[in-house]
Amino acid sequence: MRKPIVFTSEQEMPPMAVSLADMGHNRTGSWRYLRPVYSEKLAPCKNACPLGNDIPRILSLVSEGHYEDAWRLFRETSPLPGVCGRVCYHPCESFCNRKNFDEALSIAAIEWFVADACFDLEDAIPERPHRSERVAVVGSGPAGLACAYFLAKDGYAVTVFEAASQPGGMLRLGIPHYRLPREVLDREIELIARWGVEFRTNTKIGQDIEIETLWEQHDALFIATGAHRSRALNIPGEELALTGLEFLKAVNTGKPPEIGKRVLVIGGGNTAMDCARTALRLGAQPVVVYRRTREEMPAIVEEIEEAEHEGVQFEFLAAPVAIHDLHGKLEVQAIRMRLGEPDTSGRRRPIPIPGSDFILRADTVLTAVGEEPDLSFLAEHLETSEGIVIERAQGLLERAGIFIGGDAQSGPSTVAQAMRSGKEAAQAIKSFLQGQRKPKSLKLEEALRVNFSYFTHKPRVPTPQLPVAERISSFAETKRPISAEQARAEARRCFSCGVCNLCDNCWVFCPDAAITRVNGSYEVNYDFCKGCGICAEECPRNVISLIEEEL
Amino acid sequence: MKNFTLPSEELMGSGHLGCQGCGGALAMRYALKAVGDHTIVVIPACCWTIIAGPFPYTSLKVPVLHTAFETAAVAASGVRAALDIQGDTETTVLAWAGDGGTFDIGLQSLSGAAERNENIIYICYDNEAYMNTGIQRSGATPFLAWTTTTPEKTPKAEPKKDIMAIMVAHRIPYAATATIAYPDDFIRKVQRAKSIYGTKFLHVLAPCPPGWKASSEWAVKLSRLAVQTRAFPLYEVEDGERYTLNAPNPDEPAIPVSEYLKLQGRFGHLTEQDVQTIQEITERRWQKLLRLVSESS
Amino acid sequence: MTPTLTGTKKVVTGNHAVSYGALLARVQVISAYPITPQTQIVELLSEFCATGALRAKFIKVESEHSAMAALIGASSAGARTFTATSAHGLALMHEMLHWAAGARLPIVMANVNRAMGPPWSVWTDQNDSLSQRDTGWMQVYCESNQEVLDTVLQAYKVAEKVLMPAMLVLDAFVLSHTAEPIEIPDQKLVDEYLPPYRPIYKLDVNDPRSFGALAPPDVYMELRYKMHQAMEEALTEWAHADEEFSELFGRRYGSIEPYRADDADLIVVTSGTVTSTAREVIDELRAQGRRVGLLKVRLFRPFPAQLVRAALAGAKKIAVIDRNISFGMGGIFAQEIKSALYNAPERPPIFGFIAGLGGRDITPTVIREIIDYTESHDEPEDLIWVGVKR
Repeated sequence: MRKPIVFTSEQEMPPMAVSLADMGHNRTGSWRYLRPVYSEKLAPCKNACPLGNDIPRILSLVSEGHYEDAWRLFRETSPLPGVCGRVCYHPCESFCNRKNFDEALSIAAIEWFVADACFDLEDAIPERPHRSERVAVVGSGPAGLACAYFLAKDGYAVTVFEAASQPGGMLRLGIPHYRLPREVLDREIELIARWGVEFRTNTKIGQDIEIETLWEQHDALFIATGAHRSRALNIPGEELALTGLEFLKAVNTGKPPEIGKRVLVIGGGNTAMDCARTALRLGAQPVVVYRRTREEMPAIVEEIEEAEHEGVQFEFLAAPVAIHDLHGKLEVQAIRMRLGEPDTSGRRRPIPIPGSDFILRADTVLTAVGEEPDLSFLAEHLETSEGIVIERAQGLLERAGIFIGGDAQSGPSTVAQAMRSGKEAAQAIKSFLQGQRKPKSLKLEEALRVNFSYFTHKPRVPTPQLPVAERISSFAETKRPISAEQARAEARRCFSCGVCNLCDNCWVFCPDAAITRVNGSYEVNYDFCKGCGICAEECPRNVISLIEEEL
Repeated sequence: MKNFTLPSEELMGSGHLGCQGCGGALAMRYALKAVGDHTIVVIPACCWTIIAGPFPYTSLKVPVLHTAFETAAVAASGVRAALDIQGDTETTVLAWAGDGGTFDIGLQSLSGAAERNENIIYICYDNEAYMNTGIQRSGATPFLAWTTTTPEKTPKAEPKKDIMAIMVAHRIPYAATATIAYPDDFIRKVQRAKSIYGTKFLHVLAPCPPGWKASSEWAVKLSRLAVQTRAFPLYEVEDGERYTLNAPNPDEPAIPVSEYLKLQGRFGHLTEQDVQTIQEITERRWQKLLRLVSESS
Repeated sequence: MTPTLTGTKKVVTGNHAVSYGALLARVQVISAYPITPQTQIVELLSEFCATGALRAKFIKVESEHSAMAALIGASSAGARTFTATSAHGLALMHEMLHWAAGARLPIVMANVNRAMGPPWSVWTDQNDSLSQRDTGWMQVYCESNQEVLDTVLQAYKVAEKVLMPAMLVLDAFVLSHTAEPIEIPDQKLVDEYLPPYRPIYKLDVNDPRSFGALAPPDVYMELRYKMHQAMEEALTEWAHADEEFSELFGRRYGSIEPYRADDADLIVVTSGTVTSTAREVIDELRAQGRRVGLLKVRLFRPFPAQLVRAALAGAKKIAVIDRNISFGMGGIFAQEIKSALYNAPERPPIFGFIAGLGGRDITPTVIREIIDYTESHDEPEDLIWVGVKR
C-alpha cells in the first residue's frame, strides 16, 4: 500500500507543483456504499426447468458447435434429452428473458437437435464407488427412469419393476408415436440400462410381487407407478364409452381399436388432445366436447393449436349428460353450459343452462376428463404402518425407506415434473441410505435484469413441421428437428442470463479502472472501486450484484 | 464473447477524484487508451483539474499540463510548437476541456487554434454545465434543464450551443461526436484524429450523475439513451463538409426523448408540453443532420 | 579582462533591438498578438522566422492572453519562449502572468510601456507594467536601445537560472520607435553566454508528470515561499548575469545605476528613458556647482532595496520621478523607495513627482523644475503633479 507524500520542509519540495507520484495512495474504495460482486445467477430458463438443465451453458456449447459436450451437460441433469426435446412443454421457454426482447429461445428444438446429433453416442459409465445398497424402483415412467438413472450414476444397484411388457410407462403407453418415436425412448432407456439398472417387466406390484417383499429385499423403495386410473364422467351409459387412456395404450402398443368415423372426445386436457389427434390419424373425424371455452382448456396451448391445425373439431360449452346406444351407434345427450364466477382453479365455473339439451351422435366416445393414481396396493400399508412421514416440502412420502413420486404422488403432471420428482427421490434415497439429511440446496438469485442494449433483434428459429396432409395420414413425427446451422444460430440468441461469458462490459465501463481481467475472469479492486454500480447496470446478463457495504 | 475491443493499456490510474459514475473519467480512460502513452494532455479548469489529483500526485500516466480555464487549445498549441521545434512530431498533444472551457470561456482560443489548424486533438467532455463549481448553466446546458443558476421556476430558456457546427465552420480536418456508451466508436474516432494532421475536435457527451441528478449506475445508460433518442447523434465531419452518421440507425424507430429525460432529476420539473417541445426540437435537429449527411454523400 | 567586442554596429529602433535580442537568444517559440507600439518587434521576428535566420515556431494567436498561454504550454514543454506586448495586451495577459510565474517558467517578454485607456492613448507611461507588479514577474526598465537588446539576453540568463519569468520594459516611441546605433553582439559569444535552456522538469512522455495541479493549503504556502526565495536569489543573479555579460561584451548596467550621486545632496530617482534626460540635466547643474545626482532604477522586481538604501544613504533629499500613478496614493517608484528606506538607519526626505503620463514629454526643463522644487522645499511631499494645467 502506497503512502501519501508528506513534506516536512519546503526544501523537500520541487520548485513548482509537479507531480511526484500517482494516486495509488488514495483509497477511493472508502467512498463506496454499494459493493459490486460477481455472483452468477440462476437463468430463468434453468430455474423453470424442473430438472434444472443448465441451459445457458448448454446453449453456449451449442453456439460453438460443441454438440457432444452439450449432450453430456444435458445428461448431467436429465437422462432423457431426446424425449424431453420432443415432449417437454418447455417451461424454460415461457420464462426465457428473451421473450421480453423479441421471442423466447427455442430451447426444446435445440435439445431435440442435440439429442438427435448425439443419438449414437455412448456416454461413458461414470466413475462411481461400488455400493452394496439395493434400491427398487416401482414403475418405469419418467419418474422411475430418472430415479434409477441418478441412483445408478452414484453406484447403487437399482432394479426397476414394470407391469407392462416394456419399460417407459406413460412415455410408451400414453404419448402418441407422432410426438415421440419409440426408437428415441428405447435408446435413452438403453443408456440407463447400460449403467447397470435392471429392468423387470411384466411385473405388477400387488399382483406379481407384493410391496412388502420388495421392501424386505431392498434397502429403499421408490414408488412411481403413475396415474393410470381414468376419472369417471359419472353419467348414465358411461360404460358405452372408451377411456382415452385405454384408447391411447391400445394404439400405442399396436392394437388400434375400431372407432368408426365420428369420434367424440370428452375433455379438454392433454390426453383429450392426444386422443383426438390419434383418432384423426386412424381416419376418424374427432370432435372435442369441452364444457368451458378454449380459454379454460387445461391442455397446453401448443397441443390445442396443433389439434386445430390438423382439423380436430371443437364443441365448447357443452357437457355430456348421458350416453345411449342407438342400434350400435352412440347418441350423446349433452347440455349447453355458460360460464359463471371463477372457481378454486381460477377458471370460470361452467353452469348448465336448463332446457338446452341437445344430441351428439358418434361411432365412438372417448372420455378424457383426467387420470388419478391407483395406490390400492399401498393404501392399506400406508394407513396401518406407523412411521410414514409426509414431507410436503419434498413432495415425497417417506417411511423408513419408502419413497413415492411422479404422477403416483402428484396426480397427472408433465414428463419433466415426473422426472424432477424421480431425481429428487434419488437424492432423498441417497441421503436416507447414507444416514444423512438431505443437503439443503442453495437457491441462487434469479437473473432477471437483462440489459437489452447489448443484443440485436433476431427472430426465433421456426420449428419445421410436416404438412398437415402427411401428418394425419400416419403416425410420423409431426415436428422435424432443426438443422445444425439453425441450432447454432438459435443458441447464439441466448442471453446467457446470469452466467458470465467474459463479455468485458464491466471492465470496459469502469470509470475508476478498478476492474481487472484475470485469467478468464474479472476482479474488482475494492481499494479503489467507488461503488458507482455501472458494472452491474451494464452487465448484459445480471452476473454482478450490488450489495450494501456494512458501515 | 466481447462486446467491445478496447486497448488493454491503462493510462488512467485508479484513485482519481472523479465522482461515482463519472462520465468524464470514463471518457479520459477511453481517450488515453486510444491515443497511447506518447501523449501530452493539457487540462484547463474543469472537473479534471480535480479528478487528476492534487499536487504532488497525478492519476494519469502521461504528462499533464494544468492551465487556465480559457486556454486549453492555445496552451496545447504552445506545447505542440515546443515539441515540433525540438524535433518531436510524434507525440500527440491532447487538449482536454469541459463544456465551459470549450463552449464559453475557451471558445476564443479554441477558435484561434482551429483557424490556425494547430496540430492537436481537442476533446471537449461535455457534462452540460459548470459541474466543478457546483452545477451552473453553461452554453452547453440543454434547453429547459435545471442548474443552480437556472432554478426550476426559470429553467434554461436557451438551447444548447451547437459547438459542432461552430467547429465545422472552421473547416478543420476532423470533427466528431462521441460518448461513453459507445467505446469502440469513441476509440476509433480518437485514433482517427491521431492519424490526421491539424486540428481535430471531438465533442464527447459525458454524463454527470450528480449534476444531472441521476443515479451513478446510469451514466452509461444515459449516454446510450442520448444517442438512441437522437438527442446526441454520433457523427463525423471531415474538412468541414463530409458528414458521416454513425449512430443511431436512421432506419430504426427512435426511442422517445422522454426515456432519456425521465432518468434525470434536472428535467424533473418538465411538463408534458415541455417534453413534447424538446422532442420536436430533437427531431428538427436530427432531420437537419440527416440532410447534411445526405447532401455530402 | 579585455572586453571582446566582435559584434557589428547597426542603427535600429528600440523595438528592433528587442527583436535582435530574441534572435540572438535563439528563442524557440514565439507567440504574440499585434498592439501598437509593440508590433514592430514581432514583425521583425516574423521576418527572421520567414528567412530562417531564426529557427523558431511563431504562433500568431488571437489575443495576448493566448500569447502568454501558448508560451506557458511551450515553456512547460522545454522550449525557450518569447513574446512582446503593451498596455491593454499586457493587462489582458494578467491572469497568465500569474500562471507563468507560479509555474516557474522562464518566459521572457518585452513590454513597451504605453498608457492605459480609456481614453485611448498609444503613448508612453508605466501604468501597464507596474500594474503587473505582484504577478511574480521580474521587471527591468531600459534606458537605451543597446540596453534593450542586452537586457533580453540577461533576462533569459537570470530567468532560466531562478525559474521566474522576466519582463523588460521600454518606453513607447521614445525608445520603441527611435533608432540608435547599437552593437549587435556576436552569436557565438551570445551562445557562450546563454546556453540552451535545460529545464529540470518538463512535459516529457518518458517522464510523465503533471504540472500545476491543485495545491492544498498544506503545500501552497511553501510553493509561494519558494517563489519569493527565487526572487531574492534573482537579485544576486542579475548582478552575476551583468558581470558575466560585461566580461564577454564590455557593457554592464547594474540593477541600479547611481550617477554622480556619491556626494550629492539631492538625488533624483528615475527609470526608463527619463534617465537619459536627467543625466543631461545633472551634468548641467553640476557644471553650475549644484550638488545633485541621479539614481537610475533598472531592476524593479526583484526590488534591489539594499542597493537603493546604500545609494541614497548620503543624500539630504530625494526626488522620485514617476511616470505612473497609483490612484489614491501616488507614484509607484516613490512608494517602493520609501518602503525600502523606512527600516533603514538613514532616511532622507522623499519628494514624489508625477510627470509625463500618457506620453507627455519630460523635458530637461521639467526635470530642472523638479530639482528646483525639491531644493526649495524643506518638508517632503508625497505627491507633486508636474505640469498639470490647473
